[in-house]
Amino acid sequence: MNAIAFTGVTKKYGDVVAVDGLTLDIPIGSTVALLGPNGAGKSTSINMLLGLLRPTSGDIKVFGNGPDQAVTRGDIGAMLQEGSLIPELTVRESVDFIRRLYPDPLPLDEVLRMADLTDLAGRRADKLSGGQTQRVRFALAIAGGPKLLLLDEPTAAMDVESRRSFWDNMRAYAAQGRTIVFATHYLEEADENSDRVVVIARGQVVADGTAAEIKSGVAGHAVSFRLGSQSAAGLDALSGVSAVEIQADRVTLRTGDPDATVEALYRKTTLDVRDLQIHGADLEDAFLALTKES
Amino acid sequence: MPHYLKIELLRMFRNKRYVIFVVVFPVVFYLLYSNLWGSEVDQATGVKASVILMVSMAAYGALAASIMSSAVPWAQERQSGWLRQLQITPLPGWAIITTKLIASMVLVLPSLLLVGLAAVLTQHVSLPVGEWFGLIGALWIGVIPFVALGLTIGSLLPPDTAQPVAMIGMFGLALLGGLWFPVDIMPSAMKSIAHVLPSYDYASIGWNIVAGDAPETSAVLGIAGWAVALGALAVLAYRRATVRA
Ligand SMILES: Nc1ncnc2c1ncn2[C@@H]1O[C@H](COP(=O)(O)OP(=O)(O)OP(=O)(O)O)[C@@H](O)[C@H]1O
Ligand SMILES: [Mg+2]
Repeated sequence: MNAIAFTGVTKKYGDVVAVDGLTLDIPIGSTVALLGPNGAGKSTSINMLLGLLRPTSGDIKVFGNGPDQAVTRGDIGAMLQEGSLIPELTVRESVDFIRRLYPDPLPLDEVLRMADLTDLAGRRADKLSGGQTQRVRFALAIAGGPKLLLLDEPTAAMDVESRRSFWDNMRAYAAQGRTIVFATHYLEEADENSDRVVVIARGQVVADGTAAEIKSGVAGHAVSFRLGSQSAAGLDALSGVSAVEIQADRVTLRTGDPDATVEALYRKTTLDVRDLQIHGADLEDAFLALTKES
Repeated sequence: MPHYLKIELLRMFRNKRYVIFVVVFPVVFYLLYSNLWGSEVDQATGVKASVILMVSMAAYGALAASIMSSAVPWAQERQSGWLRQLQITPLPGWAIITTKLIASMVLVLPSLLLVGLAAVLTQHVSLPVGEWFGLIGALWIGVIPFVALGLTIGSLLPPDTAQPVAMIGMFGLALLGGLWFPVDIMPSAMKSIAHVLPSYDYASIGWNIVAGDAPETSAVLGIAGWAVALGALAVLAYRRATVRA
């Protein structure tokens, strides 16, 4: 059975079409990234799954039922894009309160541990930093032990260190056979933490597959090295290269296939390649490439 | 639900604004006023001012508590996204407004009891046991329209406007309802306003009880009418605030 099934779902705000005929199935147990730029319709889709918004047309099922039923049964937990806590309550009080609203919650200490909050449990919400608040919101999302976890840009406001442990915690939660959907702007984040990436633009699915599949379809990688005083002639003819950019003494080759480009660089040229760097596709490039097609 | 109630009470007791306006103010003003005029005696009823002031300040405290603990916290929860956090849990929608009503009513008790205690301890006020129960019971149940008003304000307005509107509503009702100055010394235009306000009906039920009289039917009907009207308004406003479009 699918955890989530969108069938021809459209959501309009007046004239603005936020979600445009979205059809998408997400099987139980998968971890899916919703990747898209600002205004793509990610939050609107997530809020419709939670019954906070109603589709203008189309149908949404969560574990075979309507969103309201799924929420009432405690099947869904979510970290919305925005939201703050009750300032006067401590971390433990808030988490325990939300936990007890669910029929089959996780033990309190386990929730605190899974969100790295054990040391902050006694602190009042108005004394938390932005990143710490995010962790509490993650704890609220998992406290009820929901089968489906929805995360809307969960790492906003987190530093590099917290991001890493956040994703570790999320994977630990996913490993218990649960379904996870998260929204993000970053292909790398999607790549590292999901087993399927759904790229959304203007309310529609523009690409759907594993991160590797998505990236390979995109000329968004780059290979760069120190060129010094050597000539750049012929670099644009190397396999995979779509553009050549020179800045100071560095050259950057835009490519859809970095492996092939690097190989050609060594085999087909006599250049002295110094300080080679390979950059993954970033969202900007991926997105530009993907929306061009549609 | 009992746990939700506990959480609501806990957070208000930690809220400085609530504690100052609701718990400290009425007691301090009672001590001040009763020191100045406590021993005067009302000509019509023969009741000492220390007793009348006790009713007035308890009524003010309860009025303040019911509005302060409902309007602004609720407006803040809507704006901050806490309401949505609750809406995506199995907690049913009606449980939120019901818990808020019950929590506000519990939060009214400290000011009622503390003003009464201050009156007993400093002015040696003594009433028959039945009158104590009648007074506290009436002032307790009688706050329902004010809680409903607070919840309506919190449902309709964002926190930065809910705050001044709740304050003006609270002081306006207290002042015009005769809780700070007797209605008898007001100009006649104000007097006629006072007589239609729920705060006047509310306090006059208390004044009647300490005078040993039964509350006037008009006051009881007045409060009941306001409770029904504002209660209905609160439910409508709550529906509007929680609608899913
Ligand atoms: N309440 C609203 N009223 C009118 N338009 C809205 C409303 N909410 C969202 N929109 C519009 O709907 C579109 C989709 O918004 P949505 O918030 O779903 O995007 P998103 O993918 O989550 O973007 P972001 O990455 O910025 O969070 C945008 O064009 C947005 O302006
Ligand atoms: Mg969003």
